[in-house]
Amino acid sequence: MSNVCEDHIFSEVFKAHSKTVFNYIFYKFGNEEKAHDAVQEAFVKLWENCAKVSPEKAKSFVYTVANNLYLNVIKSEKVRLKHADSLVRDRTNESPEFLMEEKEYQKKLDDALNALPENQRTTFLLNRVDGKKYAEIAEMEGVSVKAIEKRMHLALKSLREHIDGI
Amino acid sequence: MQENYLAKWLSGELSEQELREFETSEGYASFQKLKEASSGLQAPDFDADQALLRFKEEHMAKAPKVISLNPFKKFMRVAAVIAVLLAGSYFYINSLNEKVTTGFAERSEVILPDNSELFLNADSRISYSKKNWDNQRNIELDGEAFFKVAKGKKFTVSTEQGTVIVLGTQFNVENREGIFEVTCYEGLVSVTHKGKEIKLPAGNSYVVINGKQTTGTPKGTQPSWMNNESTFESIPLKFVFAELERQFNVKVTTENINTDLLFTGSFNNTDLNMALKSISTPSQTRYKVEGDNVLFYAGNTPQ
Repeated sequence: MSNVCEDHIFSEVFKAHSKTVFNYIFYKFGNEEKAHDAVQEAFVKLWENCAKVSPEKAKSFVYTVANNLYLNVIKSEKVRLKHADSLVRDRTNESPEFLMEEKEYQKKLDDALNALPENQRTTFLLNRVDGKKYAEIAEMEGVSVKAIEKRMHLALKSLREHIDGI
Repeated sequence: MQENYLAKWLSGELSEQELREFETSEGYASFQKLKEASSGLQAPDFDADQALLRFKEEHMAKAPKVISLNPFKKFMRVAAVIAVLLAGSYFYINSLNEKVTTGFAERSEVILPDNSELFLNADSRISYSKKNWDNQRNIELDGEAFFKVAKGKKFTVSTEQGTVIVLGTQFNVENREGIFEVTCYEGLVSVTHKGKEIKLPAGNSYVVINGKQTTGTPKGTQPSWMNNESTFESIPLKFVFAELERQFNVKVTTENINTDLLFTGSFNNTDLNMALKSISTPSQTRYKVEGDNVLFYAGNTPQ
């Protein structure tokens, strides 16, 4: 039976999930340093319990540990994301006014994201940035798929209202 | 429109009809824009390989974790054992009896925890429990000692030959091979010897020599050895010689002398020559000194 205690299995699990753990914590608190630490801490716990956690359970194990790590401990900071300039690059013929508008839109989006409740922001970004399916996010957060859909719906609604100034 | 239709729209789960309806709704353009813009968002850079490297260096370095944690655990284990041993030996040593011993030609004064005084004659040993002194004033004696007991609870002197119990007094106990002597100088002592208890008032001696019990009356208010003198009243010569050995740290041998002859007299405990004369003259013997050896032999003529 394969075991997380085996070096190569552990490394595989690490490579497969560390990035999402990092993003997950980053979306929650907007703190990059804490996100890096969370990855280390979560996998230390996995390593310490490697005999008890099967490779299939390893994924939800590290998310749970990471999630519990900073529960009520750190204050959320602004989540700063990078905006792909693909939109801009695709249309190099766009006018300066258009580019200005794009920049302005991105700023509004940033503000709107930061104005979201933490669980809506996390759900929204895990889906939009990391391409996680609702079912996956539901598993990470330990709630139903329906609850994630609700968060997603509310997130879209609030973002649009914030950006359009409704 | 169904519940959470925005979420369904993003995941492409709307029916065709619903989609058409949504596309004509008022906010559609905004949502479409939001969909495009959010798909271009990027999280901060995260290098999984580097994070794994860091993890391995910090947490999996060298050996399996069990061993990397071990040194401290082992240290704690050793520390715990040492702590237990230290605590144990502390209590053990505390519970040990106090011991005072005198060698040949040596005397010692001991102040007991209740300020009772105890003078230990040469070649004697006492032991008592300092911790339990308040509950039990009990002294084990082997040899000879003079006690000035402070008033208080029962004070017991245990010897191999008998037990002496007092309440507060001055008395001398001698417990040597073949001789057991208790002399009371003040107050009243109770002596138990071979299961028989007698009360010994001040100014009396209780003497057992080779199993034969006699009584006597001491001179003075404290034993003569306290004044550097050994006094004997009808005591077999061999005990006198034994005392001489103890007081001067010499070896006594005899030749043609009946050591059971009774001796009455005293000798000085500081001057060997004086002491030898004090013994030889009344016992009509002669002596020779060679280093630490003293030979007593029968004299032809009285000196």
